[in-house]
Amino acid sequence: TEWNVSVWGKRRAFTEHIEKLAELVAERSGGEFTMNVSYGGLSKNRENLDGISIGAFEMAQFCAGYHRDKNRAITVLELPFLGVQTLEQEVAVANTVYAHPAVTEEMAQWNARILMTSPMPQYNIVGTGEPRATVDSFDGMRVRATGGIGAMFESVGAVPTSVTATEAYNAMESGVVDTVAFAQHAHLSFRTIDIADWWTENLNPGTVNCPVVVNTDALEALSDEHRAILDAAVTESIDYYLTNYAELLEGWEATLSEKGVQKVTVDAAEIAKLAEGAQPIHQAWIEQANADGLPGQELYDLAVQAVADNAPE
Amino acid sequence: MDQFIDMKALLDGVSIFNVSLWLSGLLLVLVLIGVRVAFAAAFIGFIGLCAFFMQKQGFDRGLVTAAKLTGQIPHSKSTTYALSLIPTFILIGYLAYYAGLTRYLFEAAKRWIGWTPGGLGVATVFATAGFAAVSGASVATSAVFARIAIPEMLRLGYDKRFAAGVVAAGGTLASLIPPSAILVIYAIIVEESVGKLLLAGFLPGLVSALIYAALVMGLARLRPSLGPAVGGYTWGQRFASLPGAMPILLVVFIIVYSIYFGWATPTEAGALGAGVVLTMAIWKGMRWQQLKGALMEAAKLTVMIFAMIWGVLIYVRFLGFARLPDAFAEFITGLDMGPYQILLMILLVYVVLGMFMDAIGMLILTLPITFPAVMALNGAEAGGVGALGMTNQEAAIWFGIIVVKMAELCLITPPIGLNCFVVAGVAQDAKMEISVQDVFRGASPFFVADVATVAVLIAFPGIVLWLPGLLG
Amino acid sequence: MATMSSVLTDDSSLSRLDRALLRVESALNLASGVVIFALVGLAIYNVLARKLLNAPVPGYVDWTEQFMAVFAFLGLAYVQREGGHIRMDLVVGKLRGRLLWLFEWLSVVFMLIVTTALIYGTWFHFDRSFDWGAPNFSTDSSIDISLPLWPAKLAVPVALSILWLRLALQIWAYGRGLRRGGDRIVAVPLPEDPAEQANKEAATVAGAD
Ligand code: NA
Ligand code: NA
Repeated sequence: TEWNVSVWGKRRAFTEHIEKLAELVAERSGGEFTMNVSYGGLSKNRENLDGISIGAFEMAQFCAGYHRDKNRAITVLELPFLGVQTLEQEVAVANTVYAHPAVTEEMAQWNARILMTSPMPQYNIVGTGEPRATVDSFDGMRVRATGGIGAMFESVGAVPTSVTATEAYNAMESGVVDTVAFAQHAHLSFRTIDIADWWTENLNPGTVNCPVVVNTDALEALSDEHRAILDAAVTESIDYYLTNYAELLEGWEATLSEKGVQKVTVDAAEIAKLAEGAQPIHQAWIEQANADGLPGQELYDLAVQAVADNAPE
Repeated sequence: MDQFIDMKALLDGVSIFNVSLWLSGLLLVLVLIGVRVAFAAAFIGFIGLCAFFMQKQGFDRGLVTAAKLTGQIPHSKSTTYALSLIPTFILIGYLAYYAGLTRYLFEAAKRWIGWTPGGLGVATVFATAGFAAVSGASVATSAVFARIAIPEMLRLGYDKRFAAGVVAAGGTLASLIPPSAILVIYAIIVEESVGKLLLAGFLPGLVSALIYAALVMGLARLRPSLGPAVGGYTWGQRFASLPGAMPILLVVFIIVYSIYFGWATPTEAGALGAGVVLTMAIWKGMRWQQLKGALMEAAKLTVMIFAMIWGVLIYVRFLGFARLPDAFAEFITGLDMGPYQILLMILLVYVVLGMFMDAIGMLILTLPITFPAVMALNGAEAGGVGALGMTNQEAAIWFGIIVVKMAELCLITPPIGLNCFVVAGVAQDAKMEISVQDVFRGASPFFVADVATVAVLIAFPGIVLWLPGLLG
Repeated sequence: MATMSSVLTDDSSLSRLDRALLRVESALNLASGVVIFALVGLAIYNVLARKLLNAPVPGYVDWTEQFMAVFAFLGLAYVQREGGHIRMDLVVGKLRGRLLWLFEWLSVVFMLIVTTALIYGTWFHFDRSFDWGAPNFSTDSSIDISLPLWPAKLAVPVALSILWLRLALQIWAYGRGLRRGGDRIVAVPLPEDPAEQANKEAATVAGAD
């Protein structure tokens, strides 16, 4: 069995669990079950679910926020200020929500089944000039942030500004935006960190949710032996991902000092104000989900409960 | 699933990699017998995907999967924000024509340097270089000057191939001298600073123009039958020609200012330029009928270019499934050669690919492979200098200019050279008797000039890196 | 810079159909030009509103991408009618009469095959983003402000279907040329007659600018 796997960009921490999975599966099946991981050759990132649905490839990674209407249920995981603190916690929360029937049904419409998540650290903003660490300082600030995080900033008077991720560097360089919200590895790969003066360490407004899915037919066509190998390799791959990402985050401090970027700590009281501002966004999500025929309240409560249950010691 | 042909069995053991080589050959045949390029590429890509999926899923399901996958690509690839610059830059070209900018430029160039051997050819080179400062698209620049410069050269007895060749080659300057759609596309693919790349293109564009001019003069000296010098203008007449060409400077100023002082992203700056040129065109008396004409033409050229992009990308998607790019990357990194030798190999591949592909399609196709290869070749540590004598960021900018120059080269090389097609197309439109073959013949000496330019840029990377270096 | 079309017309039903289709095609191509123009306007407004009022257009990139589908596709059939899609005329440029019509006919048949596949594929691309039961009929949306993608995706099979009609008409026209022979057939772009070209040349040059 040979599976084609569609991901995008370059090989990086964000794709290491997939590379690990491919490695383990090939090793344990004695080379009978292999995966070709393609970085952008098989599909555009926003169309990986489409590719799964038409059977163009067997496995793919995507982010819920790229296309909310394709995957309304799991966007609950992208709500601002859900309170996730660690990647381990994020894995647990994601797995809980993925198991809900509303999610599996929605994915079934794409002929897809979620295999695992790709936990991303919380988004934080970088900016030029004076650090912005208070809610008041966000007033009138042009920020490159999409979706729910953009809405959260807007609720406190910031101006979400529409530029592509690839133009974020230029937009910040020329002053088109004042700040950019990304996870660390994206700040590195889109080079916003190179021109930033400061980075918020603990704003932690939320992140995107990026599952790895498989085509249902391909999954069911696997022999029992290969299926067992695949299932067993998932946990190990995620563990590998977490270890690898932890190393990257250790290097982050060094990167900051090397690039002369100031680490800004936001006051707990300020974060509380922002989190309060996010509550209407949560309510709006629940109402919208209900209107869309999803068990909005149930999904939301499930996510919130899972965050509490898996809080780090 | 009952299949009337057992494709699985039929294709069993057939290597899709080999199929991709055969189909690439067939694509060449289709193009040669005159099938519209965009559709020939889409057709071959579709057939290739059919072969791939029929081998995997059988005839019926394979056909459906291939068709659905093919059907993703036109919308998916065309609605990419960075490409939104292309029609804007094309529209600027047409509006500038109605604003009279191109005619004034050509007139000024003619009065100032028409006295040189092959004077109108030299004037065309410098007028296209000047127009390049407002136009971001090579093809549009060639189209506009084909209307203005070729008839005048023909009237004065210039050789028609020579006249058409100068215009086709001169148009390529638009992609080096900022603004430039293709440099923006490069910057976005490799995630480099668009501002730095645009600045980096400026001096190489000038060098390229000077080499073209030298070539034109040399050719005209050798064969005076190509066209006479156009002298006899007084200094008064020369200076009188300048004010008309001044608005170009205003547009340049607005575009540069808005990018560097935070008014606009590079993508938006193109639109600002178009706004200024439109205002001028209306001020010069452009009316709805003419605006409508410009919009129709811009739309036509846009559709033509976008069809090429998605058509080629259907073919490229098939290559992705056949893993041709991977094979190439392995091949390159496995070579036992020095960095400049490998670079030369890569450039030769670009020459060959460039014969058959359009510039943007070629960049989109190859950069995912060649850019990491070149970065690996340089292999600099963070902050240090690598095998090519540059930091990695410098190497990225420098390679961008080189590769865009190579891509521009493909616009004037047969059998598929967009600029030459467009010049021939405009000539046909204007009832001038110039065939595509004539344009290719006329443009062939400029191939040599371009090779010289690339050699100069490799020998003296400072020409590329000096201006962006000032930006810090 | 008006394009002088080199498509002949007569009283046949083929030619009447050609001109009827042309009216639709021209309108769509003009719409595509107008959208290009409008996007330039939107970009200028976005810059000014952001700089002067600190109020950029929400989801500016999303809006731009949606409208790109219009200018990238609506003119497809018009460009084919005018013979504008890029090709090599190395071989066909040398042919005359029946042999030329045979090659043209074959070439258009290739295009029709791939266009048929594309209509099927792009329709399903649209269909995956559209659901009668979903909010805004949408099952696919843009990244920033969640615009439904189905209208832009629908534009593609629509434009391709018009191209399909144009190609079918050209197959008919070249087929007729193949049956009847001769150099002057209606409803398809013709290679120019050199004498005619020379005549019109002076007028075009004089009228320029
Ligand atoms: Na330019
Ligand atoms: Na070429």
